[in-house]
Amino acid sequence: MKDISRDLTRRLLGDRKLTQLVVVALVVFLTFSILVPDLFLTPRNFVSMAFQIPEIALLALGVMLAMLTAGIDLSVVSMSNLAALSTAYLLVTQVTEGGGNVYLWIVIAIVIGIVVGLISGLANGAIIAGVGVTPILATLATLTLYNGIAVGIRNGQSIIGLPPEFTAIGNGSFLGIPIPMIILLVAGAGVALYINKTGLGMQSVLVGANQEAATYSAIGVKKVLLMTYTLSGGLSALAGLIIASRSASANPDYGSSYVLLAIVIVVLGGVNPYGGFGTVTGVILATAVLQMVASGFNALRFSQFFYQLAQGFVLIAVMILNTYVDKRRMRAKKDKAPQES
Amino acid sequence: MSYITPISKRKGLHLFGSPNEIFLIIAIAVLSLVIGFSNSVFFSIATPFDLLRSSLIEILFALGLLIVLVSGGIDISFPIVGIFAGYTTVVIMLNLGLDTYSLWIPLVLAAIVGAILGSVNALLIAGFGLPTLIATLGTTGMFRGFLLSYIGSVYIANIPLGLDEFSTADLISVQTSSGTLARLHVLVIPVLILAVAIAFMMRRTMFGRTVFAIGGNEESARRMGMAVRWTKARIYILVGALSGVAGILYISLQRKADPYDLAGTELEIIAAVVLGGASIMGGYGTVTGTILGVLLINLIKDNLILLGIPGSWQRAAIGLMLLIGVISQAISDKRRAKQATVIEEDAS
Repeated sequence: MKDISRDLTRRLLGDRKLTQLVVVALVVFLTFSILVPDLFLTPRNFVSMAFQIPEIALLALGVMLAMLTAGIDLSVVSMSNLAALSTAYLLVTQVTEGGGNVYLWIVIAIVIGIVVGLISGLANGAIIAGVGVTPILATLATLTLYNGIAVGIRNGQSIIGLPPEFTAIGNGSFLGIPIPMIILLVAGAGVALYINKTGLGMQSVLVGANQEAATYSAIGVKKVLLMTYTLSGGLSALAGLIIASRSASANPDYGSSYVLLAIVIVVLGGVNPYGGFGTVTGVILATAVLQMVASGFNALRFSQFFYQLAQGFVLIAVMILNTYVDKRRMRAKKDKAPQES
Repeated sequence: MSYITPISKRKGLHLFGSPNEIFLIIAIAVLSLVIGFSNSVFFSIATPFDLLRSSLIEILFALGLLIVLVSGGIDISFPIVGIFAGYTTVVIMLNLGLDTYSLWIPLVLAAIVGAILGSVNALLIAGFGLPTLIATLGTTGMFRGFLLSYIGSVYIANIPLGLDEFSTADLISVQTSSGTLARLHVLVIPVLILAVAIAFMMRRTMFGRTVFAIGGNEESARRMGMAVRWTKARIYILVGALSGVAGILYISLQRKADPYDLAGTELEIIAAVVLGGASIMGGYGTVTGTILGVLLINLIKDNLILLGIPGSWQRAAIGLMLLIGVISQAISDKRRAKQATVIEEDAS
């Protein structure tokens, strides 16, 4: 009985957080629609947002997977840049020389990029699960290392001039929906399936809820962590490929502020930083909210630094709100308990 | 009781430094020899002087971070706190027409601004109980955003006279055989005094011991009646003030106030402190180790080129060093934990 009731409250809690987020999204949408209707409330703006959301959301999904297990992945941006750089390197060296099958090389380059991401993630997982290094430290070290490798292989320079066949992916639409958005939705559905329907995925939530209990319940914690960080690497690589495809270039230092943004999104999306709870819908919705804020600020001619200020503020406000609400609910539960018994 | 044994063992070793510190000294020595033999330019009095000069500011930041790590937290906002406090101090002084030769005015001002920012961290961490990584990540964004949108986003070349003059205040300057002047900055002395003071504070004062206790086991510290929250608040305010001082000294040594500076250096300094042996889980860390960690990282950074490794691989080298550091630390922690359980079983 206890398990069922706990499951139910968890689900309700999830719904509550999602409802909150929908309300926040509506408020943000309405605010900017009223403040700057001619710049914000245009189809063009929303199409452009739909192109910008996927890369960030994919990085945030990677962070979410780590946070579900009560860990964190600070290296997502480095992995995404490393993957993008590998793909871009292959593309410029193999495709522009003319001859050969352009599409074949694009497929190979994409696969290599994703493999680079998966291997980087696997290495994170091995350091965390195998050696037992704290996730913060492990991914901090690999953040520096992966970024260092990306800087090193190309002498710190970015790769530009990717073939148009490749950039068509990131800038194209299918049935009116931007292709990056389709990639995000497919990947998001995959992550949701992984968390909710596969053994390893469900175990990863349990590991986050209580690692010790999970160990005693014969859950292969190491295997779970290995899978978690590998998937995070794969999602980061996808994000990197979308960025490269959209901008027709790859830069080892792209998006250094994305780490803060990804964590803001994940926390705003209702993922518990102590592990054990999080939804894909929440994360994608939170990305949309922050993208609307960015776009609205842009329309209002606020600087990018003001956006950074707002991100920090949102992160802290949400965290304070969550602790406050959780405390109150705990107290309410305690008060209620004697009456029930 | 069982946990006391390994700690007292460690205490015995303190006469010669902890194993980690000995390892760092050996690493620095071996690396110096390797660099020196592959390029004799290295063997000059200018090398240690330059190394110290480039390490001094990082040592200040690292000592602050050490206190946070020992308490079981992490702070990534300190470089932004530093540049925020430093830049704001310069702006305030220039606006008030305080273009004086005084060094105390900017130092005190920067410490105050730093402490104010630190108290925001303190409020979030000690007051609201937010996880330290997320709280300081949030304040990093807020402080940086605030600095660049409201205080200023242009760099100031004509910093107050006192700060400008201090940048060339040398303790020793030696004419080297190659004709260049090797200079040791006077800042070495205050940094050394500060390091000794922090070591004393951590080892001998109630505050320092409480920090260790909180880092070792927060719940135990609370049940022993220690003022956990108040101590935590004081840690972040103190670290804010220390970062502020480091920030204004950085501006002085650079002879310009650039609000975009220092952002991103937190990783390198965390790397240095962790290499120095401080445990990210809290409860362990030494001032000597921290200083050695900073020196090792700067030695690598400044001299990779002499080894024939291109400068663009510098970051990767630091990342690799950090990785080796955290992995070896995790392995030795595991071994220690295993030893502790073995002793526990023996006792029972």
